[in-house]
Formats: sequence, structure tokens, C-alpha cells
Amino acid sequence: MTTNWNIDRRHFLRGAVGALVPLPFLNVMENAVAKNIAGEVEAPLRFMTLFKPNGVHPPSWNINGGSEFDFRMSPLMAPFAKHQDDLIILDNMGDFGFSSHANSARRFLAGRCDNTKTATVDQFIADKIGGETPTRSLELTTEGLFTNQIGCSYISYDQKGDPIPRESDPQLIFDRLFRNPMSDPGQRKKMTSLLDRVSDDAKTLQRKTGREDNETLDEYFTVLRETEKRLETMGSAANASTDFSKLKRPAPAANLNEQVETMLDLIALAMWTDQTRCISYMLGNSNSRMVFDFLGVKEQHHYLSHFFRNFSRHNIDGLLKISLWHMEKFDYLLTRLKSYKDHNGSLLDHSIVLFGSGMGHSDNHTAQRIPVILAGKGGGHLKTGRYLRYSKNQDLSRLHLALIQRFGVDMQEYGGATDPLPGLDGGAIEEYRERPFQSWTKVEGKKMTVQGRLRMSDNLDEAKVFYMDVAGEDPVRIEIEFRDFHDFNFPYHVGTPIQLAGTVTEKNGQPVLTKISELKSVFGKSKPNTRNG
Amino acid sequence: MVRLLSITIFLSLVTLSFATNGSDFESEVRPFLEKHCLACHGGEKTKGDVDFSIIHSMNDAEANPDLWEAVSLVIKDGEMPPEDEPQPDEKSASAFLSWIDNEFFGEIVSKPGVFQPRRLSGPEYRNTMRSLFGFDLEVDIIEAEQTVTERSLVLKLLPTDPPGASGFINDTRVARLSTNLWDQYSYLSDRALNRFFSMTKVASLPEAEKLVRDFVPRALRRDVTEKQITYILENLEGKSGEALVGSLEEEFNALLMSPAFLYRGFLMETDPSAEQQQVDDFELAERLSYFLWEDMPDEELFSLAREGKLHHPKTIEAQIDRMLASEKSRTLAESFGYQWLLLDQIHHERNDPPYLHALRTQPIDFLHYIFTNDRPVVELIDSEVTYFNSLTANFYGSDRKKLEKFVKPKGIERMVIPLQKVVLEESRSERGAGILTMPGVLGMNEGPILRGTWMLRQILGEHLGEPPADIPPIEAAAKGQDLTFRERFEAHRADKTCALCHDKIDPLGFALEGYDKYGGVIGKNQSQSKKQPKTPEKIDTSGQLPGGESFTSFQELQQLLLTTQREKIVRNAVEQMMAYALCRKLTRSDRPTVDALTTQILEENGTWRDLICGIAQSVPFTECINPKLIQE
Repeated sequence: MTTNWNIDRRHFLRGAVGALVPLPFLNVMENAVAKNIAGEVEAPLRFMTLFKPNGVHPPSWNINGGSEFDFRMSPLMAPFAKHQDDLIILDNMGDFGFSSHANSARRFLAGRCDNTKTATVDQFIADKIGGETPTRSLELTTEGLFTNQIGCSYISYDQKGDPIPRESDPQLIFDRLFRNPMSDPGQRKKMTSLLDRVSDDAKTLQRKTGREDNETLDEYFTVLRETEKRLETMGSAANASTDFSKLKRPAPAANLNEQVETMLDLIALAMWTDQTRCISYMLGNSNSRMVFDFLGVKEQHHYLSHFFRNFSRHNIDGLLKISLWHMEKFDYLLTRLKSYKDHNGSLLDHSIVLFGSGMGHSDNHTAQRIPVILAGKGGGHLKTGRYLRYSKNQDLSRLHLALIQRFGVDMQEYGGATDPLPGLDGGAIEEYRERPFQSWTKVEGKKMTVQGRLRMSDNLDEAKVFYMDVAGEDPVRIEIEFRDFHDFNFPYHVGTPIQLAGTVTEKNGQPVLTKISELKSVFGKSKPNTRNG
Repeated sequence: MVRLLSITIFLSLVTLSFATNGSDFESEVRPFLEKHCLACHGGEKTKGDVDFSIIHSMNDAEANPDLWEAVSLVIKDGEMPPEDEPQPDEKSASAFLSWIDNEFFGEIVSKPGVFQPRRLSGPEYRNTMRSLFGFDLEVDIIEAEQTVTERSLVLKLLPTDPPGASGFINDTRVARLSTNLWDQYSYLSDRALNRFFSMTKVASLPEAEKLVRDFVPRALRRDVTEKQITYILENLEGKSGEALVGSLEEEFNALLMSPAFLYRGFLMETDPSAEQQQVDDFELAERLSYFLWEDMPDEELFSLAREGKLHHPKTIEAQIDRMLASEKSRTLAESFGYQWLLLDQIHHERNDPPYLHALRTQPIDFLHYIFTNDRPVVELIDSEVTYFNSLTANFYGSDRKKLEKFVKPKGIERMVIPLQKVVLEESRSERGAGILTMPGVLGMNEGPILRGTWMLRQILGEHLGEPPADIPPIEAAAKGQDLTFRERFEAHRADKTCALCHDKIDPLGFALEGYDKYGGVIGKNQSQSKKQPKTPEKIDTSGQLPGGESFTSFQELQQLLLTTQREKIVRNAVEQMMAYALCRKLTRSDRPTVDALTTQILEENGTWRDLICGIAQSVPFTECINPKLIQE
């Protein structure tokens, strides 16, 4: 990097005092720098992805109703609702059918789970923009490898479609970025004086020892000489390295929360100091088995995410606590990115952050209505503050193709998509529209047929209960077992008009549908199949 | 129990009792080689990588001592020359053999190795840093159930050490220091010191001095001179606060990056007047500690070394008992046992971490038990004790009922479950052959040939060459022929060259045909297998050992292993453990020790503890050749 703004920033960093994130003070300086060079240099565009494990609890996540500019954030979105103006909330992403955990992890950045012979979107972007920074890209995670289904542990894949090793340790990342003797003058100096010192000591030792020992010592001296040579080469290259010695290495994390927040701090810092411009980060494996004891939750996340099968109010509470925590971390990253001034705006303004998961309903593994949010104005490439609910299901690969093109990669096809997802820059989209339909009920003996809109119970105590809204009548209550719930892919149809037939019984004087014999979508597909884009 | 003094006396007798009486190389040996060997093993052909064309003189012969041991064996056993070649007459054969005996076996003197410093292996470095600092350098990562991760920052960053000539990774002479290693050591040292000084407050020079006086000798694993301490203290002179801590960090860093820390043995004191001598007490403390703990000595070993008491037999024995009782001795199973028996090869297609954990931990728990509970050496292949948990319990018939119930916490789907020690009754005959009948070990090698090869090499200690490269594939049965794999394989091995090894391998492997590829007993507990036939038409577990002893079942083979093959098995155990303890390949000079220990274990049904005590008091372990004298 040779741009003016960058050198100024680095000069400044040299004098910065102490902490890892000396924010307010830095921003003042940054403003001064930015003013001087405003309009001269274009800010670089960064790309970050944040992966949320185990899908979502749809009743708490989905936005129902609302339009592009007029919508209400859902309960799970509350933690980052304050960033609404910097977000594009995408809806109807994904496709019909079910998704395994491994497939959902692949889908997140490959667009489709069968797109396995090529790199993921972050890697295409890194190939394009990574050459200008000391570190091409970072692939980060929180959790160990799930070897049973190895695909659950990776979202970033290389050009051959093979998983890219992830790093989890914030201290290690920090040291690689800011404490590398090959690039950091402070560390280089330290290493040089160490080499002198141990060399003197070893010479004293050499005089005491015999022939065999000297062979081993020769090996030691050879390594000292080679290291010294490497340092000289690095030093004389006079590259753009900066003295980051005033930055403090983060302390070891006491719990998961600290570890993740430290990592998010580092992501922002790495971006701001322009050490790298492309980072992918998994908050957990796609089937995360982590236990969030610091939230008071003792059960595994994956177990809780199957909230229909393992239903209890206690479990739902636990699941929502975990999901809210994930949302808080997204907020944390956005807040951090906003706090760094970058050129004429904040770091977030010159970034694109992709947040989301690879599946929708966490118990049924529905591959539709996958949570996906874009944050940041992307240097003007994105028009934020909007909610885009597409008329039809959209493969994630269309979104990825659009992003790849935003970063200047010349690609016309990705993961089967040839037409980039429209609307990100404010252009028109075909919006989801309500179509008029009739609703009614029909009872013949034990059999009831009902047409209306399917919805989940608003009551969190009733995770297994659904309702059909019928005009002019009481809603029809549906209480079914997991088998029917899954076989008819109920979560897919939630929010849409369907015709449902089944066995009716009476409870508390109300008719209740218990066994489902048939489900027909009024406008869309009815029968679940195995296709899952 | 060991009678240490008797060993020592025995060893010295061996040393004295043979004298040189060699036939003449030119008149007896060279003609024999030319007549019977060179056609296949020299010149154009060098079958089995044996090449006599490089042996021109007695000097050449002496330079290849290992060769003659193998030559002697194949001639004695009638394996060579091959049957269809002219056979040597008895007189020239016995002259040739006695030349080998006299030159290479006759006058072995028990001698220690020439002293050579050795770099700490990855695990040794990790453990030493842990003991030195009191904390582990770990990777910040969340270990959820069923996920796998390398927790140790040291093992994550250091390149994996390859096994040395001894077969063990603590034999680091082949894994030289490299710039990559240097960078990683430097990083690890930096990181450890950073953390150490964030926890340890040093406010004044006297405090710093106290720290130096404690830290330096522990890091160097021996007492240091006042001069060395003063040298460091002078560099701290006049400093305080952050500058003082900074200087301390620099001093300690220089120490941790010095050869004296990274290698073992640089600082050993030797007596310049003697060639062969006892190693000094601190060196002995290190040898004991890295042998049994894979770690630096603890305070008790240090203080005994300081008092000069460690060479005393009673002290060594008491220390061994103390060390074996410590939790740290598990490394003996985890490193020595694991590497010896190639347990890293335990796998399962399900790749389910809790299940794999159960398969892999069983041999480790078992070895730890026999190593540290004074169990006889041969219990390695014959024990009523084993370890399993509910995930592997179905291999053990009604013995599974002896497991105490393990209750998973609510909301946890699957997790690693500790194994329990179980005394076998009903499944004793099928599962009572110690390491040999563990499901994970049986599943490690697929098919009778690989199973037999493993048993022959790892348990019986046979040195097999590599199979020739040009083996034709086993032919499929011709149409109308109803031949089992075994029958087809036997036709194949009618070839003399193949038979040389396969006569030894195959009986061992086919005896285990009653166990399926997951280690289940066919027809009984195969639930781990999906596609295997429940009852193959015929399972033939009979066979004959090269010595002529025949058997009909694995259980009968096990009895032969415990009787006619006992000596081989014990000798192999002795050799393996000694090579691990000495961190080097054994040489001819170690043979008297091996012989004596083997005899002693056989005569007294000796235990692993006896073996450990024997090794720890042997000449190769307690003495060294002064390298300075070699030079002159």
C-alpha cells in the first residue's frame, strides 16, 4: 500500500498510546487526515461474513408483512435494530426442501450446496482484492472440528472446492497480524538482539563441549545465521510495514463471549489498519454443539435448535437466549465498524458485511426463508435501510454473483446463477405480493378440510401448535406430531395460504386438527421433495 | 521383584567371557559369499535390498554389523540359500556361521552410547514448558462435544516430529533444528513469558533476583554456577518497574531459546580422565523423568540429584515407584505404547468422535494399567482386565452388565464417555488376549495379512523387509472353483520368495479370522458392521507356526504365544522400551542388557515395573562415553 492516507495513519499509529482500540482519539486524528486527502483517494472496499449456526426459530425471526421502507424488525432483530439504516434485510432467500447441516454451511457462501467444485464467494473476492494487503484473507471460527460431518465446520472453500483451515485464537491472529518479526520493526529489533545474545551464550557453551556436541551446535548456529539473513532481507526491503508495538495483545478470553468479542474487535482492527480486506468468521459450526453456560443455558445449542422435537418452554427460552446472543454479536461488529472513521465516513460505509445462516427453520431444516442480512453501504454500492422480500424463492448464488460483481470480479455465472440478485443498489425488484384467496372450512364426520393462511402460534408455550386463519370464523387450531410437521414441511408453508385436510377432534369445545392427510398450497408447490438449493 | 545387583554382575560377566576367535575373512567368508549369495544379492541383482558386493574386506564387514545378524538367522533356519539352489555343505556353513558368531556376537561388551545432546521432542517441549511455568499454552477454541481440536498451542505450531531410527519420536536426531522450528520456539517462548509476567509481579531487584535464582536452574534442569546467576543479575542492574520486567523477559527468553534449554544434555558434567563413566546426577534425573513422564524432573528428583543420591539402586527404585504412581506416568502409555503399537492407526468409518475415543482410549487405559500396576510383561497379550464404556460394551457379551450406568446430562446429545475397568468372565476367551483382542486394534488392520504383519512386527519383534514391488495380484477364483480367500492366497504363496515371510505372517493373521473388520466376533457381536455377512460359510482359524507348532483356533495360538513364542515377545518388549528410554536405536553394545533383562523377565514372570527398574539401572541408561575422549 502506498496511498497517502494509509501512510499518515501508520505514522499516527506509531504514537498511539496503549490499548487495543484507542478509539475516540484515533478518530479525531483520522478526521484530520481524511480532510486533507478528501476526494483524492478512493477508500478500499472490504468484505466480511458472519455465520450464524443452526438456522433460526422462524416465529421470532421472520418479518411478516411490511414493505421495502416500511417494516417492523422482528423480536430476534431487536439487538441490531438501531443499525436499520445500514442494513438490507433479504427475505425469501433459499428454496423448497430440506437441508442438512453440512449443506447449509456450504450454501452460505457457495450459493448452492451442490456448488462444491469451486471457491466460495469470499475467496473470489479475496483473490481480487487480497493482493494489496499484507494478509490476503482470514478464515476464522469459534468451535473445534466436527469430524462426523466435516462440512459442518467450514464455510470458506478454495478454488478446488476444498475446505480452508480456520483459525480460532484471537491472540494468534493478533500476533500474526501485528507481531510478526518479518513485518514488524519492533519485533525485528527484538529478534536481532535475541540472536546476538544466544549466539554469544552458545559460543561459551561450545568451548566446553566435545566433537559430537559441536555437530549439534553447528546445526544451531546455522539456524541463527539463516534467521539473521532473513531479517536483513526483510529490513532492507523497506516495505510498508508499521510499528504496531503500542497495540496491546488481547488478554486470554475467560469465556465464549469474550473470545468472540475479542475476535470481532480484531476483525475491525485488521480492516481499519488495512492488514486484510476479506474475512469470514463462523460464530460456531453449522450444527454447533456449544453449551452457553455463561448465559445460564446448560443444554447444547443443536439440541435446543430442534425446538419442535425437544419442546419445552425452558428449551425455547434457552434457544432464544442463544439466538439473541448471536444477534448481539452482529450488532457488536457493526458498532465497532462504525466507530472507526475511514475517509469520508465510517469503516462500515466502505464495507459489505454478510450476516446469516444456511438454513431457515432450525428443527425442520427448511431451506427456505434463510436469514440473510447485508450491512454497510459498500462504498455506495449498496442502498441500505430496506427490507427486500422477493416474490419467489431466490438461490443464494444470485446474491453471491451480485456481490462478486460489486467487487469487480469479471464473472457472469456462479453456482448456477447467471442473473445477479436485483435490488441491492436500489433497483427495482419483483416484490412479494399478497394475492387474494378464499378461506373456508368444511367438516365431514371426523374429517375436516380448511383453506386459509397457516401461521404459528404466537404463544411461545405452544411451539407445536399452528393456526389457520379463516375469514369470519375462529382460527382453526392444529396440534400435530413431529412426523406430520416434517413430512408436510409445515415451516415452508407458514405465512402462506394452503388447503389442509385431516382428522378433527374437539378440545374445550373447539375443533382441533390432529392428523394431517393432505396439504395443498393455493399458489405454490405443495409436495416436499429433496431438492435443496 | 528385580534383583538389581545380580543383573549388574551378570552384565559384567558377559563383558568378559568372550574372546576373539574369528575365521579368516579371505579364506572362509568371501568364498562362501561368492558361491552361495552373490548371484542374487550383489552385482546385477540385489534381492531384498541385501547387497554383498559392497563387502570387500573385514573392514567392510564390520561396518555393516546389522547385516550379519540377519544372515546368520536365515542360514540357521534354512531359509537361505533357497531350496532350489545348491546348498552349502555342512562344514563350510558352520565355519561361516561361527565366523559371524565370533565376529559379531561373540565379544559384545556392554557399553553405553557416546553422549550426544538431543533436542526435546514436541510433547517433551510442551510438558517441560508446562512444568516450568505452571500453565499450559493453549489455543483459544471452544471444544463442544463431538468436536475435535488440537488444544495445545505447542503441538499446533511445532511441526510433528518424525519417528527416529528407534521408531520413537523422542529420538529427535533425524528432526533437526530448522528456521521454521526456531520461529515457532521463539513465538511460544514469547507468548509464555508474556503470560508469565502478566501474572507474576516483580517490583524490585531483590524480587527479580529471587525469581532468577528459582527460574534459571529449573529451566536448565540442573544447578548453575554463581557466575551464571551474576551474569544475568548484572544485566538487571539499576533497573526498575517496566524496564526491569522487560530485561527479565529478555534474559529468560535468551535462556528458553538457548541450546541448553532446547536440547538435553549440553550441560552435563563429565570426568575428563575417564572414557566410560556414570552420567552426572542431574542427567540421570532428566533421563528418568523424560522416560517415565516425558517431562522435566520435579523438585524431588532435583533435590536427590543435588544431594548426589540418585545413582543409588534403592533410590532409583523408590523414585520409579513414586513416578509410576503419579498421573504423569500416563505418558508411558500415551507416547511409548501408542507409538510402539502404532495405535494412531485406530480408525472407524463412522468417524464419530465419542466412539473413536472409546476405541482409542481402550489400549491406552489398558497399557497404563499394566505399566503402572506391577503387572507381568506378558499380560500385554493375556489379561482378564480390559476397559470399555457403553459405546463399545456390545463387544463384551454379558460382561457389559458390569458397567456402572453413565447418565448423560440433559440436553447433551452425544458425548465422550470415560472407560471403566472391567474384569472379564464370559468374554474372557474371546477378549482376554490383552491388546490383541481389542476391537480398535483388530479393526486397525484390514484382512489377515496386515493383521499378521502387525502382530509379527509389533508384538513378536520380527524385522521384515519391505515386500518386493513386483508381486502379482491374488488371482480371482476360476469359474466353478469355490475357493476362499485363504485357499487362493495359499496357492499364491507357494512361491518360495513369498513364503519366506508369509509362512510367518499368515498363520497369525488367519487365526484372527473369527473377528470381523470392526473387531466384532463373527456371528456374535457384529452390530458395528453393516454390510458384512452374519455367518460366513466357513471360518478357518487353524494354522502352523514356522517352528511346526500347529493350532486350530486363536485361543490355541495365544497359548503358543505364551509358551513357545514367549521369549520373542518378552525380548521385543524389552528392546522397544529400552529404545524409548534411551531415545535411540539399540546397538550391539546394548545386547547384553537386553539379554539379561529378557532372561530375568522370563525366569521370574517379571513385570513392567521390573523391566523399567532394570532399564533405569542398566549400563546404557546410567553411563556414557565421554565424547571429549573420543575426539582425541
